[in-house]
Formats: sequence, structure tokens, C-alpha cells
Amino acid sequence: MYTLYIDTHYDKIVIVIYQNTEIKIQKEIDSHNNHSVILMPLLIETIKEAQINLNELNQIIVINGPGSFTGVRIGVTIAKTLAFTLKIPIKVMSSLLIKALSFDHEKVWIGEREKNGIFIGKFDKENDLIEEYQYLKNKEITNNSLVFYEDIEINYEKIIKYAQKLKEINPHLVNPLYVKKIEVQK
Amino acid sequence: MKDIYILAIETSCDETSMAIVKNGHEITSFTVLTQMDTHSQYGGVVPEIASRMHTENITMVLEETLKKSNIKIEDIDAIAVTYAPGLLGSLLVGVEFAKTLCYVYQKPLIAVNHTIGHIYANNIDNKLKFPLLALVVSGGHTDLILMQKDYQFEILGSTLDDAIGECYDKVARVLGLKYPGGPNVDKLAKEGKPTYNLPKPVNDNTYNFSFSGLKSHIINLVHNETQRGHEIRKEDLACSFQIIAVDELIRKVELALQKTKVKDLIIAGGVSANKHLRQETHKLAEKYQISLNIPDFKYCTDNAAMIGAAAYPLFLKKEFADFTLNAQSQALITK
Repeated sequence: MYTLYIDTHYDKIVIVIYQNTEIKIQKEIDSHNNHSVILMPLLIETIKEAQINLNELNQIIVINGPGSFTGVRIGVTIAKTLAFTLKIPIKVMSSLLIKALSFDHEKVWIGEREKNGIFIGKFDKENDLIEEYQYLKNKEITNNSLVFYEDIEINYEKIIKYAQKLKEINPHLVNPLYVKKIEVQK
Repeated sequence: MKDIYILAIETSCDETSMAIVKNGHEITSFTVLTQMDTHSQYGGVVPEIASRMHTENITMVLEETLKKSNIKIEDIDAIAVTYAPGLLGSLLVGVEFAKTLCYVYQKPLIAVNHTIGHIYANNIDNKLKFPLLALVVSGGHTDLILMQKDYQFEILGSTLDDAIGECYDKVARVLGLKYPGGPNVDKLAKEGKPTYNLPKPVNDNTYNFSFSGLKSHIINLVHNETQRGHEIRKEDLACSFQIIAVDELIRKVELALQKTKVKDLIIAGGVSANKHLRQETHKLAEKYQISLNIPDFKYCTDNAAMIGAAAYPLFLKKEFADFTLNAQSQALITK
């Protein structure tokens, strides 16, 4: 059982290929805002290095945000197209959830920072989301007494284990999680 | 020779479109999913929303396009995608999607310039006959192009400021017409008379165009009349504007026809759907005894059929792109 994991929600691109729950190969590249040039060649190279064929993949996990709109969109577009054409299950995880499940905690606020603010979400001990994701601007953060955990090293073994209990999603319905509203929608 | 099937993808603005094109001109399957209703709420295309909707819809548009075709995706010879020019975020969705399909099905990738796509829309129901003169008119372009042969472009002239389509949309806005403005101005103009005295754009002997003066004049006119409490006769103003704007196009096309002596004139781009422009170019073609090609209405606006048509010559020349292909908001056709 091979799983392809794709995370493009920020400057960094992460691709992992799991064999069952073991990491077979893991690639991390700082793409410097150049996801569209780097991601596909990197994906092809990673699958080649893992010495598997594309059609041996059994499942895809994609991080669907929140984060850079364009970054997430590139990863999600590729992931949902792969799942649709290869006819394999696809699951999504948020950029905040993968942080939450990477360390042991009680109830906790997790943050994902970007240039002008921070995406936050509150998780319980079992990593279930207990307060909806929000976006706070930098000036709103200083007025806020919440404590966020943001600098967390991602534990990729925990991700694959957690993914087993996630539901599959119809590839057509896999979409980015933007959280932040855009100007015209306000 | 074996038939060549190209799956073409177009996401450069607010239409998610795909087509399967046989031998560069036969459209065997064609889907256009427009986001027009969404963007009309905001009075124009909102780039971030356009990109979001492309991602939402892209696999469904593929499914629909394949369902309508007898061709299986495995039997397609190449996959073509618009990579430029257009809205960067929108283009990226199509480009990444196309690359993924090429990877999964092991097909060559063809990068198509959107403007060239509009020109080759004239190769679908008719054949391009070289040398030809092409007038490309859209929201982003107003170009007069001379083509001596396939994929060879010489730009004779361009707009010095606003594109004609952009000017139409601005005029529509000040007249309070809904997005998409251009077609609505065209419709309204038919009910009016050219009673407003508007300035003629630069009357020189180059092939360049200018529309910003005309646009500013209309904005000021509407503003001043409204302030004085005078009512604007919208249909008359639309009619007056349309006659002057199209006349500017026709004058330069005529100049180019006299100098270049081409026997074929083609009109391309979204504004080629404009009825008044179609009438006037027909008159011109009659006067100069040349053939005129304007695409069918469904191939005038943004669509993937034209991208498949423009990809075919590249397929024959084996000009394929690799997986590092990136989207570009701007690109020259004469590179």
C-alpha cells in the first residue's frame, strides 16, 4: 500500500511516499514562490526514486491549507487530478491539523503565520477541531491574549497513522481551505 | 496519415473550457463552463475568485468533455494548454492540471499562447489563407498582425493605450450596464442614433490605435451631464461611441489592406463577436474583394477549441513543453 503526501501550502514543498505506515522517501524543497516550476518535476523524480510506478499508488493525502492561496491551489489541483485520473482515494488535512497531531497536548491553539497575520485553530487532546479556523491580522494578534503554538516540527509518522481514520473525499470536491476572506467578499 | 487528437485546456480568465480537437480543426467534444454570473455581481472579473472556481471545476469539466466524446483519454495524442497571457492564478490551474494529465497518461504537452489561439479560431470552420491580415480585438488586445505563413507573426500596429474591449467595458460601466459590458453596449447601440459628437481618435498614418481619449471623453461627458441634471440618452451615447470606436479599427485595417495587398482578412478575439464590427468588416471585404473570416460566435470568446486549433501546428513541428512549464500573465506572440 503506497500513499503519496503533498504539501505546498507555503514556501516549502513537501512530498512523502509512504509504504504502508513507513516513510519510504521524503523530499523537502524551499521553492521560493516557484511551486509551478518545481512541483511536477519534483513529484516525478520522487516517484522514480521510490522505484514505484505511478499506478501503484493507492492513496493521496493533500494539505489543503490554510496558507498561500496560490501555493495551496497548485498542490490541490495536482492532487485532485491525480486522484481523479488514477481512480484512487484522496484525503485532505489542514496545515494546522498536521501541526496539532505532531505533538502531545491538551486543548491547544495552533497557529500558521503568514506575512500579514496568522491562521489559527483550536484542537482538543484527540486533535479534533473544537473552534473553527480563523484568520487574525498582525494588529489583531497584539490585542489578543491567546497563546498559539506555531513552531512545531511536523511528525510525518503521526500524519500517516492519523490519516487512516480520515474519510475519503470525492476528488471533484477536494478544494483549498482559504479561511481568509478576499477584499470584494468583505 | 493517422488522425491526430488533441485535448485542449483553457483557463486564462473566467471560463474553464476543454475541447478535443481532431486534426486541428474538427471539434469532437467541447465544454465551456463560464463564471460570468459570479463575476457580474462584482462588476468585473475578480482574479482570486476566478482561480478558485477553476480549481473547483476543473476535474468535472474534464469528465464532461470525455463523456461527450468517443475518444478515450488514453487515445489522445497530446495535451495542449493556454500558458499565457491572462490572469496568472487562473492560468496556473490549467497549466498544473495539464502537466498532471501528461504525466499520468504519458502524453506530450503543448504550451499555447492565448492570443494565437484567438487567431487560429479562424482555422476551425475555415482555413487560414496566407498571407493574411489579422485584427485581434479583445479586453487585452488591439493588434493588427500580418502573417506570411503558419505561426509567423508580424505586428504592424497595436493600441498605444487601452485595448478596445477594455474601453467597451469602461463605457458600459459609466452607462450603468451590467458585466460583461462589451456585448451589452453593442446591444444597446442598436436602439440608438449617433447624436453625440465624440472626438475621433488619432488620425495618423501608422497602424496604431488609441482609445483612452475617447474613453475619458465619455466618462467626463456622463459626469458633467449628470451634474447639470441632464439625462443621458444611453442608447444614443452607446451608438455614437460604437461608431467612432469601430471606425477607428476599420480605418487602420483599410490602411493595412492598401499597403500589404493581402487577400485574406481575419478578425479574432472576444470583440470579434461585436455585430457592428462584423458588418463593417464585411463592407470592407467587399470593397477590396478579399475573403473575410470571423469565427463562429462560440469560438470568439475564450474557449479551448481554439487552443486545440493553435496547438496542432506545434504538434506537427513537435514543439513540446516540459514539466517546468510556468504560466505567464504577459507574452508576446512574436517570440
